Amino acid sequence: MAWEYSQKTVRLFMDAVHGKPGTHVGEIEDPDGIGEYGSAACGDALRFTFRVRRHPTDPTQDVITEARYLTFGCTSAIAASEALCILIEQKELTPIEALKITNQDIVDFLEGLPKQKIHCSVMGAEALEAAVYNWAQRRGVDLRRLGVDLHDDEQDEGRIVCKCFSLTEPFIRRKIKELNLRTIPEITDAIKAGGACMSCHHVPGGLQDLLDEAWGKKEDLLKILPTPVPLEPVPVKATPKDESALSPYQFSKKVESVIDENVRPILRKDGGDVEIIDIKDTLIYCRLSGACQECVGAAQTLRMLVERTLKDLVDERIRVIRV
Amino acid sequence: MKTIYADNNATTQVAPEVVEAMAPFFAENYYNPSSMYEPARQAAKAMTDARWAIARHFGITDPEQILFTSCATESNNLALFGAARARPNRRHVVTTAVEHPAVLEVCRELGRSGYEVTFLGVDGDGNLDIREFIRALRPDTLLVSIMHANNETGVIFPVEQLARITKETDPAILFHTDATQTVGKLPIRLREEFRSVDLLSFSGHKFHAPKGIGGLYLKKGTPCRPLLIGGHQEEGRRGGTENVAFIVGMAKALQLAEENFQDEDTRVRDLRDKLEKTVEERIPHVQVNGKGAPRTPNTLNVSCHGVEGESMLMQLMSDYGICASSGSACTTGSLEPSHVLRAMQVPFTAVHGSVRFSLSRYNTAADVDRIIEAFPKIVANLRKSSPYWDQERNEPRLEHVDSVR
Repeated sequence: MAWEYSQKTVRLFMDAVHGKPGTHVGEIEDPDGIGEYGSAACGDALRFTFRVRRHPTDPTQDVITEARYLTFGCTSAIAASEALCILIEQKELTPIEALKITNQDIVDFLEGLPKQKIHCSVMGAEALEAAVYNWAQRRGVDLRRLGVDLHDDEQDEGRIVCKCFSLTEPFIRRKIKELNLRTIPEITDAIKAGGACMSCHHVPGGLQDLLDEAWGKKEDLLKILPTPVPLEPVPVKATPKDESALSPYQFSKKVESVIDENVRPILRKDGGDVEIIDIKDTLIYCRLSGACQECVGAAQTLRMLVERTLKDLVDERIRVIRV
Repeated sequence: MKTIYADNNATTQVAPEVVEAMAPFFAENYYNPSSMYEPARQAAKAMTDARWAIARHFGITDPEQILFTSCATESNNLALFGAARARPNRRHVVTTAVEHPAVLEVCRELGRSGYEVTFLGVDGDGNLDIREFIRALRPDTLLVSIMHANNETGVIFPVEQLARITKETDPAILFHTDATQTVGKLPIRLREEFRSVDLLSFSGHKFHAPKGIGGLYLKKGTPCRPLLIGGHQEEGRRGGTENVAFIVGMAKALQLAEENFQDEDTRVRDLRDKLEKTVEERIPHVQVNGKGAPRTPNTLNVSCHGVEGESMLMQLMSDYGICASSGSACTTGSLEPSHVLRAMQVPFTAVHGSVRFSLSRYNTAADVDRIIEAFPKIVANLRKSSPYWDQERNEPRLEHVDSVR
């Protein structure tokens, strides 16, 4: 899909990857706070580090002086990381004050992000949160007692079903079960999915399909396709066990021994060989090798020699198929 | 800055000769080919000639076997749904895990409406396992749909071999191939090389015809019910007034393609090989996806460990004017990275760090030199800012961030 980035987003990205002075790519050695977020699997990951000017007596009065990031991700992920560091450094913030920076602040700073890229800004805020938590541990600050709520990210990774609200298939599946959602309006009311453009309602893999899979299908939605009628008996390729009373294992053993004793010696005389690829009922899938492989008469050889011999010595119904 | 277009598996520039061939059919000869008066008959004749030319290109003498559609997606939908509707007593479909969504999603849709679908996996080079394929065929198998060449990696499947095995196992199983990435790039002689194939999809805009025109080869006697009903066009197999101008354009484009097959197989292949070799030499920790398999001569898909594809594309465009594409999740508008590379067991960071360059006859040596100049620099730049890259040792660092979640 074509890019819809603001000029500012693109500029921040280009400045960062070109290492312009004043940009924040990197990792602070021996940092006061380090936070990581994302994973290779979801295609975005961010390591965020910061340094503080330590307050001599009260760690909660520490002030962040320097912030750096390493980001694996798309244009907006890198631009959002850059934005986060700028927002933090431009004011003298304590780590706890820095937590007030939301993903919306980052989006605003970037002068907007395409809606399917909003998660990139969330990543910055989450990594910051993790770094502040790390700082608190190092400095012996009890965040909970200060009333700071560090919540875990709830959005699961996976294919996005509702693009308007960036809601993924595993997340919606889980919510359908947890909240006992039975209809599309119920889903929309509970978790917003499908509430804006509504195009995900009845597309393949959309909300209705997820509901059907969770609760079983009520009616056949696909009028275009006929309901499969019960399988009519397909002409069976004959099974060997009826008459010759060989089990499939015995049958294949017999085929192999006939090939070994009656076919291979003849082929080898001409510098060729035959390999059994698979046996399905009385269909024998073979590949000629060695000199036979290039031979123009390979198909003939299989039919006249291999198939004929097997028909005569094992089962008349055998057919040999060249692989 | 001159734009260098290296994304020809996505779409292609319309050839000037094609534009010229189509021109009379917009404002001058705009008639409905079904009408009775003389000027309309000229439109109908142009269309018939085009159908003949395309049939000849494929080496068949019966032009009614070529059906015009709006795109390869429509052709694929028609082939699969059409076959399913014509043979309702068979309800098993075999396909691969690396098909284009126009086949993959249709198969999933069949799966949702009561069909069983076998998705064949591939190995690290993108090759199918022939034994697994043989085992997938069942007495109730309706159809096998296996692409000719993969759009992301260019890996070519041995379609005729698979089709022949299918037909010898059970002649009633239909064999469809999505040849969108090979028609116009490789010579395809249906009667000689693809005699066991029943249905073959293709699309004009992959070989320098405009978007909006495609085709389906429907071997005589192949059961397939139409999707678009309500017109006698295409012998009732695809209703809708024919897109005369684009049909003429597609025939012209195929003619040009045929004239350029030699160029595609020599000069374009050499350009791709040069690009591939240089990328492997100059970028550490890079892998060519599908390297061990036969591939189309124009496609190079590389994964660079530790960097993300979309940000590479952004720099390729902004700094060098180069158009390419990526299997990274960020480029799809969804959070799913390339299903093709995942099926090939390419590690996650390498999937997200994949870039595809696909060339055409319009690419020059200078274009490739520009890519060679740009690409290693871009990768090095981005690795400097990547948490998955060990700056000191200059190698991937994988253990770290993965463990966070």
